[in-house]
Amino acid sequence: MEAPLIVIDKLVKRYGAHTVLDDVDLDVQTGQALVVIGPSGSGKSTLLRCIAALEPIQRGSIRIDGKLAAKGEEDAGGPPNTASLRELRQRVGMVFQQFNLFPHLTVLENITLAPRRVRGMTREAASSLAIELLRKVGLEEKRDVYPERLSGGQQQRAAIARALAMQPKVMLFDEVTSALDPELVGEVLRTMRQLAEQGMTMLVVTHEMGFARDVADDVIFMDKGKIVERGAPQTIFESPKETRTRAFLERLLDREGRRD
Amino acid sequence: MGEFQFGRILAYLPDLLRGVGVTLQLGLISASLGLVLGLGLALMKFSRHPLAYWPAYVYVEFFRTTPPLVQIVWLYYGLPLITGWDLGAFGSAAVALGLNIGAFYSEIFRAGLAGVHRTQWQASRVLGLGLTDTLRYVVLPQAIRNVLPPMGTTTIYLIKDTALASAIGTPELLRIGQLISVETFRPVETLTIVAILYFTVTYPVALFVEWLERRFRIARA
Repeated sequence: MEAPLIVIDKLVKRYGAHTVLDDVDLDVQTGQALVVIGPSGSGKSTLLRCIAALEPIQRGSIRIDGKLAAKGEEDAGGPPNTASLRELRQRVGMVFQQFNLFPHLTVLENITLAPRRVRGMTREAASSLAIELLRKVGLEEKRDVYPERLSGGQQQRAAIARALAMQPKVMLFDEVTSALDPELVGEVLRTMRQLAEQGMTMLVVTHEMGFARDVADDVIFMDKGKIVERGAPQTIFESPKETRTRAFLERLLDREGRRD
Repeated sequence: MGEFQFGRILAYLPDLLRGVGVTLQLGLISASLGLVLGLGLALMKFSRHPLAYWPAYVYVEFFRTTPPLVQIVWLYYGLPLITGWDLGAFGSAAVALGLNIGAFYSEIFRAGLAGVHRTQWQASRVLGLGLTDTLRYVVLPQAIRNVLPPMGTTTIYLIKDTALASAIGTPELLRIGQLISVETFRPVETLTIVAILYFTVTYPVALFVEWLERRFRIARA
């Protein structure tokens, strides 16, 4: 087996005295789609933010593609410098719950900004890349529209295209369907499923258990800052080893049952 | 006695227009200085680093709480005594007004930048954009919409404050007016015409800012 794309080693993340991630170890192989589930406050979003270098970490290390991406502030040597962080960010794409498109730029400009400024692409090259990506997410006719004219689902698909334009090696999805109206969730999940099928390495934090079941290579259950259990979706959903996993899934199914 | 004599004052119109020219130059130079300074100070106040934050804090509080007249006089008479640098009357006034208005601009910029949601910074960081690119392409274009109305008002104040330069003899509009009053014993007529001339300078600024506001709104629709 080749070396994992992401290696997280004994990661500790604290906000003040509150420990959010407690000694987390995680390997992600190239091409794997991992879905992270767990109750709110379990640290799953923080884990993604640490991988994207949006948060400093206190202990441990994160390696991406063999290179040191983050290192504990309290460990010897301290965190990597800004230049290597910027290089890292080009290998990691991230999509947020609130889309975070740039409201003053058209869809096309949202997508071409970083390729032009960071990767040094010409306007023409960046535009044709953007159009290709918009076709992929089904938004080619929206290229010259401003984000506020798009539905939530369209905005999120544009945000996915924007992240893909940096040609990242791994995509992080942080509850990307949680802010959407129920009828718009499907189109975003379809786009993500396509990406997974094309072999994109993905880490997905979501409450969409159907997506986890169908798309994930592995499901990770987190609770109280720790990875409690990791396994194939079938194992996790049908015969979880840990009682905490079982309790969480039962609560979830119970809630979904009542909603119907 | 008992009647206005605007005709006599209008004979001095060429002098008054030269004063308008000096007022415009003072306004332009101090506004430019103030804008650069204000943006820098605002960014420093956003920094968590104490060596960036505190100097900016002290600067802003000092310059916005002391009278610009004192700052002008101090720069004109005090600076040469301490450093041997003599900026002259025009230079002292332009620099002092610029330093002063920079403190006010910086607070406006700070409010404008704070109005741009922090997730916009995060989205930029995740895309690998550096600080300069993030400011230039993401944050400032959004901040400018919040910033324009108070910026216009402050700039109009600044243009009227250039009249303070008359205290050190800069031949700007009010100073010329004062000289004409003394010569003609007609202060009311002279100052009325001076006020109208100030209006012809400040009103276009107000219109320009309105035009900018419209332009930045349309760019979004």
